[in-house]
Amino acid sequence: MSGTSAKAPVYMDHAATTPVAPEVAQEMGRCLTADGAFGNPGSGGHEFGDRARALVEAARMRVAQAAGARADEVIWTSGATEANNLAIFGVADHYRDFGRHIVTARTEHKAVLDPCRELERRGWRVTYLVPDASGIVTAEQVAGALAADTVLVSLMHVNNEIGTIQDIAAIAAVCARHGGARFHVDAAQSIGKLPVDFCQSGVDLMSLSAHKAYGPKGVGALLVSRQGGVWLRARQFGGGQERGLRSGTVPTHQVVGMGAALELAAADCEGENRRIAALRDVLWQGLEACGGVIRNGAADASVPHLLNVSFEDVEGESLLAAVSPHVAVSTGSACASASGEASYVLRALGRSERLAESSLRFSLGRYTHAADIERTVAAVGHALAHLRGVGGVISIGGADGIEGTDGVGGAYGIGGV
Amino acid sequence: MHYNAITRRYFDSAPGAGVLIGPAVGRGAAGSRTQGTWVQFDVQADFATTGSPLLAAARFLAFACPHTIAACAWVVEHAVGRRLDAGLPESVRELSLLLGSPVEKLGRLLTVEDAWLAALSAAAARRVTVVAARDRAGPA
Repeated sequence: MSGTSAKAPVYMDHAATTPVAPEVAQEMGRCLTADGAFGNPGSGGHEFGDRARALVEAARMRVAQAAGARADEVIWTSGATEANNLAIFGVADHYRDFGRHIVTARTEHKAVLDPCRELERRGWRVTYLVPDASGIVTAEQVAGALAADTVLVSLMHVNNEIGTIQDIAAIAAVCARHGGARFHVDAAQSIGKLPVDFCQSGVDLMSLSAHKAYGPKGVGALLVSRQGGVWLRARQFGGGQERGLRSGTVPTHQVVGMGAALELAAADCEGENRRIAALRDVLWQGLEACGGVIRNGAADASVPHLLNVSFEDVEGESLLAAVSPHVAVSTGSACASASGEASYVLRALGRSERLAESSLRFSLGRYTHAADIERTVAAVGHALAHLRGVGGVISIGGADGIEGTDGVGGAYGIGGV
Repeated sequence: MHYNAITRRYFDSAPGAGVLIGPAVGRGAAGSRTQGTWVQFDVQADFATTGSPLLAAARFLAFACPHTIAACAWVVEHAVGRRLDAGLPESVRELSLLLGSPVEKLGRLLTVEDAWLAALSAAAARRVTVVAARDRAGPA
């Protein structure tokens, strides 16, 4: 990553978060101090509040334009997690008398799965669709899962672990034909990276995040379709901001940052995607040359910035430990994750627990360059050689006349293996 | 996960990784790759001394987490020259403290001990064969 010293690890975790773009940080800074727009955007009647409110509404317009939505469809939240919760519980609470069935998928983010599980505890039925081996959920699967009492379908646009893109327009059409099923899409991984057209897609609710697209952490939005006539019950009460759906003082600097970041990302989305896809391909070719690697997800229906790979014959935690001093990546390893379980997404795709644990997610970004790819391939190649040698999968040879490679030290010929 | 300096050093360099061959080498293994932890030790005994034989060399292979690999490397490095019947150079508990291994990994360090003891036992069983061969060869 440019701007870091040669010894700093390469940052390959842009799907987790991105640095705030300098232009974005500048705009945010102008909303914080006494000489800037620090006023409460909810304070009418004086210049400070008016100035902040103007910036908030300008940011709302920028986010709407980046997502193909109307400005009055943007509800500010603290991030995609809150937006997902507001969408799921908001719909569930409002439409509870019309039905108590939700459709989602096993590979959704926890910010969708956990609210669904909470609703199950409250007596709702939830259908968890199983994607194919590449992570795709088809419109036909959704159609087959819809029931008379289905009030919500919640599926992500781009999977955060494997990068698979879902055909949300086709699924939206299925939900529209059903009539009673509102369609919520978690677009945290796609906004700023893929063209998103909320109005055209037929989606009813869409969750957005700023910090995956070079904006600040702590801000996001829920797009609520006006044309679809979707109603939500609020989760947070107080000052009645955001049309009463999300009370609380709107953080001017945060929403300004989100607006600036998404506008910036949308400006050269296509060119940037071409550049990153080329780098991603070089990365894959380099990793593939190491041998014993399996690409996870749909190579032909995936975002360009994300590559998920399982590595055979290495233990997951050791792989991450060997790679992480040189490259910052995410892993499917149980020991490295907060949940303590191997990646449920990869397990849902049919990967074994061992392969799920020995997987790495490489996510490229705006500041990733060819030299970073070279360093990444070298670091992973070195780690694989080291661990496969220590594990007896490949010969490490005799260095001092005592070690031998007599054929019994191989990985699969020893009792207890 | 955070690793202390000792774990980091022994994991990164893995001194003593490999295998041994020869009539005085005993091999022991424990665990399984499918379960996520597999360890193998080769130990070479020195039967030339009178009394209890000594450990002349040791090597290991491991498909395991960094703490377990570091434990194997540390054991191999510190065991040479000790008596063959002396067990691990440090107890599993001491190893755990030395490496800063979390308590939930105690079972993995016990796998190291199991493999080590099996290798020592296999090497000790080689004594009769080695001494008989030496006797047949006559005085050097």
